[in-house]
Amino acid sequence: METTNTALWPFEVVSNEPVAQDIWRLVLQSGVAAQIAPGQFMNLQVPGDGSHILRIPLSFASAHGPSGTVEIIYAVVGEGTRRLSQMAAGSTSTLVGPCGHGWRLPAQEGRSLLVAGGVGLPPIVAAARMLAAQSLGFDVVVGAQTAYRHVESQIDLLRGMTACDLCDCGRRVLVTTDDGSLGIQGFTTEAMAQLLAERGYAQVYTCGPNVMMAGVARLAADAGIACQASLERMMGCGFGACSCCNVPLVRGGYALCCQDGPVFDAQEVAW
Amino acid sequence: MVSGVNMAVNLGGIAMRNPLNTASGTFGNGVQFEGFYDVGATLGAITCKGVAAEPWVGNPAPRLTELPGAIMNSVGLQNPGVQGFVDTYGAYLAGLRAKGCQVICQVAGHSIEEYVRATELFEELAPFASGFEINISCPNIAKGGAAMGATPASAAEVMAAVRPLTTRPVIVKMAPHDVAEIGRALEAAGADALSLINTIPGMAIDVRTRRSRVARPTAGVSGPAIHAIAVRMVWECAQAVSIPLCGIGGVASGMDAAEMILAGATAVSIGTANLYDPTCAPRILSELTAWAESQGVSDINELIGAFEC
Repeated sequence: METTNTALWPFEVVSNEPVAQDIWRLVLQSGVAAQIAPGQFMNLQVPGDGSHILRIPLSFASAHGPSGTVEIIYAVVGEGTRRLSQMAAGSTSTLVGPCGHGWRLPAQEGRSLLVAGGVGLPPIVAAARMLAAQSLGFDVVVGAQTAYRHVESQIDLLRGMTACDLCDCGRRVLVTTDDGSLGIQGFTTEAMAQLLAERGYAQVYTCGPNVMMAGVARLAADAGIACQASLERMMGCGFGACSCCNVPLVRGGYALCCQDGPVFDAQEVAW
Repeated sequence: MVSGVNMAVNLGGIAMRNPLNTASGTFGNGVQFEGFYDVGATLGAITCKGVAAEPWVGNPAPRLTELPGAIMNSVGLQNPGVQGFVDTYGAYLAGLRAKGCQVICQVAGHSIEEYVRATELFEELAPFASGFEINISCPNIAKGGAAMGATPASAAEVMAAVRPLTTRPVIVKMAPHDVAEIGRALEAAGADALSLINTIPGMAIDVRTRRSRVARPTAGVSGPAIHAIAVRMVWECAQAVSIPLCGIGGVASGMDAAEMILAGATAVSIGTANLYDPTCAPRILSELTAWAESQGVSDINELIGAFEC
């Protein structure tokens, strides 16, 4: 039985603005910033509507403990996130966090490969920050539907992270879009296969649509590379109380996304 | 809490420091809430997640959808079996008892034989259990569960089979129908207390795909939207039986808990509110205590069933 540091924190909105069609960037001020680790998530309450009672589970792109700020990129997909997008700077509420288990450092020495799709990008940016902080080498594949200002800024950010200390080959960031408006037209798995053919990796990290992560997990398994995947589920609580966010496992039975994940060993998940 | 009102109640032999309990399945096994408040020092009791003799995997995903003022779940009593439950949570739950919080272990089964086996295992392995809650009303399992609690005869049959196995208090978790008639049958079969209501079976259809919004066609509705229905059923059951009741259903404030007590509940469980408002229990307790004081009584027991009609 694990003890938990998941707690209730007040937060204040610092800024909350659209960065693309239905994609918003929220910066909030909260004490959770000093507690939360890359790949963990928090469960935000949007006040003022008694008909939508559940909190909104959200991952984060960056957290800065000393200043107490957390940066969240989220997609407006339903009523909850629509109301979240209406929270103005200065408004306050509460969040539950830190929730779940985040990214783990590579178990073996060697370069990592990060594969992000859509709004799976922010947790991958958080993983990149974690690796860069340890001076670990990595390449990145970023998939998006189309080019937009925010994804381009995040790609620039990834390109600007510290150079690989393990080898002299340089870090690579490949971009794929569905419409070819940025980078290669095609799927992230195609770009991933290209990189796998060119280079060796010790660890894959992935976050994005389930179908994409299933493909990434398969490619990693075929290449014999360990793979961590960050999953998303509808959640009741976010901290293991209700058993609603079940994830089917290869060995049979279920894990809970909120408590056992959201980062899982991809080879244990029955995709 | 310093208060002029005695808040201690007795739920069928389970002496609670205050009326607040937790609804099974909404509180993990307590430890998940330790980051929010001191569970053992706050609650009158906790009711643990339902456990069967052997582990159950539970239902496929998705298990949850949101409705106006409510949620609908189809977890299907995923549990590690009595041995796994005791191995993982036994020491923590014994610690809750030591702090004065009662621990009610919920017994799940698909058949009379499975309820009996699970109760026997709990008797043997769970000295920390203050009492048991027999769940004959889970709407999310294919056989047993709600089917066992569907009629007065079938409900009484489960109770009668479990009764000789333990001297600890036995509560029965009731389905949201025919609560007076089934309550009388359970009292006659030896139940020490009744808890009601379990979730209300519902359906939510995605009209675009024509499929259920959860993995099974029906699931259990809970949350503030069902509170008034639960209060009505507690009141109906209270008229029919003389054993104490634990009121459950959409309690999210001290006033909600007070309604349950006025309708005839001795204890009140917080359910769905634990999920979205995990610090609600201490607040509800303080609101309930303030309400009791405002009613000018010296003992909360004076307010049980004090509804005037």
